[in-house]
Amino acid sequence: MLTRVKSAVANFMGGIMAGSSGSEHSGGGCGGSDLPLRFPYGRPEFLGLSQDEVECSADHIARPILILKETRRLPWATGYAEVINAGKSTHNEDQASCEVLTVKKKAGAITSTPNRNSAKRRSSLPNGEGLQLKENSESEGISCHYWSLFDGHAGSGAAVVASRLLQHHVTEQLQDIVEILKNSAVLPPTCLGEEPDHTPANSRTLTRAASLRGGVGAPGSPGTPPTRFFTEKKIPHECLVIGALESAFKEMDLQIERERSLYNISGGCTALIVVCLLGKLYVANAGDSRAIIVRNGEIIPMSSEFTPETERQRLQYLAFMQPHLLGNEFTHLEFPRRVQRKELGKKMLYRDFNMTGWAYKTIEDDDLKFPLIYGEGKKARVMATIGVTRGLGDHDLKVHDSNIYIKPFLSSAPEVRVYDLSKYEHGADDVLILATDGLWDVLSNEEVAEAITQFLPNCDPDDPHRYTLAAQDLVMRARGVLKDRGWRISNDRLGSGDDISVYVIPLIHGNKLS
Amino acid sequence: MAYAYLFKYIIIGDTGVGKSCLLLQFTDKRFQPVHDLTIGVEFGARMITIDGKQIKLQIWDTAGQESFRSITRSYYRGAAGALLVYDITRRDTFNHLTTWLEDARQHSNSNMVIMLIGNKSDLESRREVKKEEGEAFAREHGLIFMETSAKTASNVEEAFINTAKEIYEKIQEGVFDINNEANGIKIGPQHAATNATHAGSLFLRLAAQTGPLAHSLTLSSCPAET
Ligand SMILES: Nc1nc2c(ncn2[C@@H]2O[C@H](COP(=O)(O)OP(=O)(O)OP(=O)(O)O)[C@@H](O)[C@H]2O)c(=O)[nH]1
Ligand SMILES: [Mg+2]
Repeated sequence: MLTRVKSAVANFMGGIMAGSSGSEHSGGGCGGSDLPLRFPYGRPEFLGLSQDEVECSADHIARPILILKETRRLPWATGYAEVINAGKSTHNEDQASCEVLTVKKKAGAITSTPNRNSAKRRSSLPNGEGLQLKENSESEGISCHYWSLFDGHAGSGAAVVASRLLQHHVTEQLQDIVEILKNSAVLPPTCLGEEPDHTPANSRTLTRAASLRGGVGAPGSPGTPPTRFFTEKKIPHECLVIGALESAFKEMDLQIERERSLYNISGGCTALIVVCLLGKLYVANAGDSRAIIVRNGEIIPMSSEFTPETERQRLQYLAFMQPHLLGNEFTHLEFPRRVQRKELGKKMLYRDFNMTGWAYKTIEDDDLKFPLIYGEGKKARVMATIGVTRGLGDHDLKVHDSNIYIKPFLSSAPEVRVYDLSKYEHGADDVLILATDGLWDVLSNEEVAEAITQFLPNCDPDDPHRYTLAAQDLVMRARGVLKDRGWRISNDRLGSGDDISVYVIPLIHGNKLS
Repeated sequence: MAYAYLFKYIIIGDTGVGKSCLLLQFTDKRFQPVHDLTIGVEFGARMITIDGKQIKLQIWDTAGQESFRSITRSYYRGAAGALLVYDITRRDTFNHLTTWLEDARQHSNSNMVIMLIGNKSDLESRREVKKEEGEAFAREHGLIFMETSAKTASNVEEAFINTAKEIYEKIQEGVFDINNEANGIKIGPQHAATNATHAGSLFLRLAAQTGPLAHSLTLSSCPAET
């Protein structure tokens, strides 16, 4: 996102902040720059670029659109294209990775409660090596496809790290449940280690009287099935996958938090991933990138964005519950505009965490503080600093010239949406599009869908590059061309000066799988 | 590796004339017999020496196919040199030179050095465009001219190096503003110190181009990079 993080809080804060003891750079945090990088900066591995090519790619004047040359490097003939920003940062802060993950049962993961502590060997790649036990032979792995997209801010460190490591956390989380997932005929057991329950799901429901009595059967007597006191929720398999992805995001964020004392992991990033597992697509999004499916010309949104505006109530509620997080400098209330001192005692429109509508309140001293959420649309910021409210990293991000941390307001939790590939016979022009906000800032879903539905039918269906060409076309439409008054797109609108990255994933391959 | 200057080149011309092969021959000293259609832009780099100075050539190889024309056009900007290539065995590629030249002149900076290249000189028996015709076209439009063969490597080095010499001379004459990266010339790390202030102002100019920052939050108190 362009200037997603504002280092300058500027003159609104001027009066308030001038007094507070200032560190030079608010975003810097714990002096990370002396530490080694966790991974060197580069472009996505699947692009296979040399150092010279990476250098060329960073041309802010001509802004070359990089494309995937060797289509075989990505599954499903996935297309990919990207372009660097118009000069806001030296590096392209978007990152991407794509892999085939093999998920194998980890020892002890199924038959007993997984030992959560032994699973925490993060710094080595978590593929269960060294833990293989005798059950190994019986457990065949399942493979799944993984696409990821990260949009970094205030440095490329977090995005680079996430692009290298998040897939391992996904694998590790799925390892714990792979046997359950494979056994699709039986609902996931509620409690691991108990006798598998083969009673049909609906007969589990007890009458109210029975459950009040404490169930049927004599508790404790040998040979009787375990007593059930309450009705039981049925948890379908896909909810376990969703849970695994949510945990993977959290673990990734924790790893960045831990490792930033050893490495220089700068900034933060949004994360959008797609996992194709057992015939279903799981789209997990934390941040303001976006995924849509274009199917037979129809748009199916597969994510929603997390910004100060969309998450206003969550943020306000947190600040209300934990006012110390505001460092006495901000108010959690929202007003239509900044409140002026001379308006004290008057009644002004406002809204609190519990409201979507507006009401009047009498202006008090506290209301003169800078609002927790301020600005509109793309310019909305949390504490005048950040314009995206979910993602990874940012552990050291502070409000400019203050000691107020932003991280407590940021969430690493993704929203996960599921798409069942088998429910529809996809054609060659049905695609899932993933892109960072550089694309969506200037093109609507409709414009993107229209571009795709124009472009793909004009491409040879056997051309292995067709989805990459489609991705290049989208990037071109969003970047535009440099004219006297900056980058321009169709109808002389302003093009995106941001980093832009786009995947075009054909869904027809998903049908071939199942 | 350290260099005194970096020159950015762009290679343009119809599809199939041998642009990618010229680049590959120059950077890798190899010839690629099958046509691997370029579908966007590809890059190559090589160090050369001119006047005892190390010069890094950064070469952008564009797609000649009509459908990529608008993308290709957008890469002219910021190039110091252009290799405009036609195929001596296909007259239509020669006939299209005027269009390419108009495009280049319109979208590049006015000082860009253009080298006209008649490629595939090894295919004498299939020649459709006389060498004299190429020379005449070059003279008429103020271009440098050479015939090359990406297959035998004949004149390939010369084509790239002579273009660099021309750029280098223009620098000596003060024609190029070397502090403006939009001209396709970068001063190497060891020379950069003296030009630091200019580089700084360039950065700010670029930053300003990215459009208004947060509307009501001014940059006045930004500690920033200045
Ligand atoms: N005999 C001969 N063949 C050549 C020469 N240069 C290129 N070719 C052949 O011409 C064909 C096209 O060469 P490319 O370099 O791929 O053409 P291009 O100009 O890059 O084409 P686009 O990428 O589509 O714009 C290939 O089959 C090459 O082997 C040459 O000097 N002599
Ligand atoms: Mg080519």
